[in-house]
Amino acid sequence: MDELLHRVRTRLAIRAHRKVRGLLDGEYVSLFHGKSLDFDDLRAYIPGDDVKDIDWKATARVGSPLTKRYIATKKHAVLLVVDTGRDFAALSESGMLKRDVAILAAGVLGYLAVRHGDHVGLVAGDADSTEYVPLRGTESHLERLLRVIHKRTSLSAAPSSLLAQLDYVRRTFRRRMLLIVLADDGAIAADRAGELQLVRRLHAQHEILWITIGDADPTRDEYADRDMIDVADGRELPPFLRSNSALRAEFATAVASRTAASAELLDRIGISSRRMSSDDEVVPGLFRLLEVHNHARR
Amino acid sequence: MELMYWWMPVLWLATTAGVVALALWLRARRRARALATAVPVAHSDRLTQLPAYRAALVRYRAALYGAVVVVSLVLVAAVLMSSRLVSISSYQPEMRNRDIVLCLDVSGSMIDYDAAIVRTFRDLVDEFDGERIGLVLFNASAVTHFPLTTDYRFVREQLTRLENDLSSPLSDYAFINGTLLGEGSSLIGDGLGSCVMRFDDVDRERSRSIVLATDNYVAGEQILTLPEAGAFAAERKVRVYGINPGDVTSKDYIAEFAREMERVVLATDGGYFALADPSAIPSIVDGIEAQQTERLTGEPLLVRTDEPTWPFLLSVLGTALIMYFGWRLKR
Repeated sequence: MDELLHRVRTRLAIRAHRKVRGLLDGEYVSLFHGKSLDFDDLRAYIPGDDVKDIDWKATARVGSPLTKRYIATKKHAVLLVVDTGRDFAALSESGMLKRDVAILAAGVLGYLAVRHGDHVGLVAGDADSTEYVPLRGTESHLERLLRVIHKRTSLSAAPSSLLAQLDYVRRTFRRRMLLIVLADDGAIAADRAGELQLVRRLHAQHEILWITIGDADPTRDEYADRDMIDVADGRELPPFLRSNSALRAEFATAVASRTAASAELLDRIGISSRRMSSDDEVVPGLFRLLEVHNHARR
Repeated sequence: MELMYWWMPVLWLATTAGVVALALWLRARRRARALATAVPVAHSDRLTQLPAYRAALVRYRAALYGAVVVVSLVLVAAVLMSSRLVSISSYQPEMRNRDIVLCLDVSGSMIDYDAAIVRTFRDLVDEFDGERIGLVLFNASAVTHFPLTTDYRFVREQLTRLENDLSSPLSDYAFINGTLLGEGSSLIGDGLGSCVMRFDDVDRERSRSIVLATDNYVAGEQILTLPEAGAFAAERKVRVYGINPGDVTSKDYIAEFAREMERVVLATDGGYFALADPSAIPSIVDGIEAQQTERLTGEPLLVRTDEPTWPFLLSVLGTALIMYFGWRLKR
């Protein structure tokens, strides 16, 4: 009954080689500044571990780097913030459903969290309604969260509104959490001051990891013979207008600059973001995201 | 301008409405099916806000509107052609239902006048359209030189040959063969009577006229006197236009015959022309023509003429434009 989580585990297993998995683990642990001071034991250093945790004396004795482990006294809270409106039932840049990429990314981070004994919760919704699934620390709970995302996201869902979900988080939670925001290309733009304000406000309270699921390129050749609709309003995009090579080049440029612009906006606020659009990109993408985030030491 | 089949536009309207309704229905059905398999895309404004997309859209719309206009025009042309656009004009049918018999006295004194009449009619034949013309030569007896015909080439040929024979000093006068078989010569009454009998198709409404050239100087025993022949002509509604070179002061001795001829001719509702100079003949013939034309302007008959030129050109041009726009839209 844990198909979605199973897919996440499989993906992790395919990607990795223990090294990458360990790396991800290390990066994940480093996300949290506050550590318990209760020393537990030593273990071999894995690239990605915080250098500050290396026990230099023990390392000198053994001859290979050892790092200290502490007993976690506090369970961290990881909150997945997912837009499950119609927009996520559309295709991503790779041709997969954006929903599936989002589920995989949420699943990988959630899985890391659960394995570290942290609690994972979900805020998912669209313009009409928001669903909150409370924080819990089990794999079956994570599977449930992923199912909620899967079930809510369909073409018949209400229009997308990430703003509504972020606002829900602002209104509802007092404690500091790690927010995993799963957004898409349309979520952040310089001309949308309200959202930027809200993101800034949330960043002041929470640690935020921003994952952008890249939207499909309508000008791609493989869509040339097929009908295409914008999920937001069901409007058709006529094929003759999509198959123009000059337009395709202009679109690619526009998307690149737009992606760079929104990453820049988030970066200015102090939020690390990463754009991914296929299941292959998820694990390395998350690793890069965590790495960048930790090195920036936010 | 009016339409011959007034119901055709109604039929077209119904058909067009039916086709449009069917197309809309098929499109709605296809669309419903297509939406299920369509590629779902979010934030298409990333594409639709691009200047290149907007420009392409404007171009496409222009081509589309152009195609709609052109198809409408071709449709209008098709409606006009199929409902047979006709122009209406009035037409005087008798103008073209004219029969003219040239009735020429070929006695020696008349040869010059005959030549002038023949020459004038030879030239007139070019303007004829539907009129029939025949030629009878008479002296003691009447000979049909050629019967009433619309074969203008033949007429012209015959008149040309006869004119040569009449005016050439080398002429062998072969044309008078058969005109001397009677009791005497210049039997005018018999001649006119024969000419009246040259009209066929007496039951049909046609304008019948005789151009009679003679000096009415009878020498011999006639079967039919001139007044009797005139009465016969009037009875058959044949107008006789008399040309009399003998009705001049220098020929007083035949003035009585001239008066008789004038009386007879006018009784047939025709005309009488006295002259001494053959060169006056063309103007006289023109006069006869004009007089006849005037008299024959009767009840105008409505004639419908198909006018397919403009709709046809429009449809050809329109079809070419449809192909162009189709190519533009497919591209």
